[in-house]
Amino acid sequence: MATTIAQLTLTSSDLLSDNLAISSAATLTSAGNSTGLTHTEGLGRKTLASGHAQYVLFDGSDRTADKAHKIYLKNLSTTAAEYFLITLNGEDMGRLYAGDWAFFPWSSHDADNDIKIDPSADDMTLEYMLFTDD
Amino acid sequence: MATTATLTIASSDIAGDPVSVSKTSTLSKAGSLNDLDQSTGLSRVHLRSATNKVLLAANAEGNNLAAKVYIINKSTDASLYLTVTINAQTIGKLYGGDFMFIPWSQTDTAASIEVAATNWTASTGDIPVEYALFHEDTDFLTNA
Repeated sequence: MATTIAQLTLTSSDLLSDNLAISSAATLTSAGNSTGLTHTEGLGRKTLASGHAQYVLFDGSDRTADKAHKIYLKNLSTTAAEYFLITLNGEDMGRLYAGDWAFFPWSSHDADNDIKIDPSADDMTLEYMLFTDD
Repeated sequence: MATTATLTIASSDIAGDPVSVSKTSTLSKAGSLNDLDQSTGLSRVHLRSATNKVLLAANAEGNNLAAKVYIINKSTDASLYLTVTINAQTIGKLYGGDFMFIPWSQTDTAASIEVAATNWTASTGDIPVEYALFHEDTDFLTNA
């Protein structure tokens, strides 16, 4: 069993009239128990040249359904207008603009439940990582 | 009005070498360096339903504007989970203590974010859920 801790901090001194400070820490565990996740695909990078719309980053058919997979994504672009559209089985999740990151669970509940990325420009690079109990 | 989001992921033993990821982003409006200036604030609900409930209702005016969603399952029971969906597509399950932070396109009014305490029963107790939305759409005034 491994111990992997993900921590999120959201802060702002001027969004609201009082300071905003949200902090959460989660130990990444297997589905439904306290056993630490034991596998990772490591930190990777993918640069997409032209013609790579709807690139399959994580294939739903590669993973066992309803495990406790966790995905980290970051758009490494420094051009504010450039984004990756993140889709899940054809449904838009959202646009990850330059410098933005995302962290979310992934059910991979069937073969269609792919995580796809669609860059808004050529030669954009996404950093990604998968933690899993699969 | 800068709001920053920082993620750190650390493990000394999930791989042969330590994993250490630390990233900070400033929450900005779509395609610009202007800061997001709207927020629902941190909200809390107690889920006691195994069927989907709308947590954040998509607003057509928010289509492809920048929005960031934070959700955490505050249950201390590792077996109690939330199923999080967008337009009926399951993103994943948040087990007790798990959180997520994602961009949200609100592609259409069907793209609401819904949650269900899928394995909830009257005997398991409620699942406390906290969430916050940071966004730029000024028409987003209510959620369900």
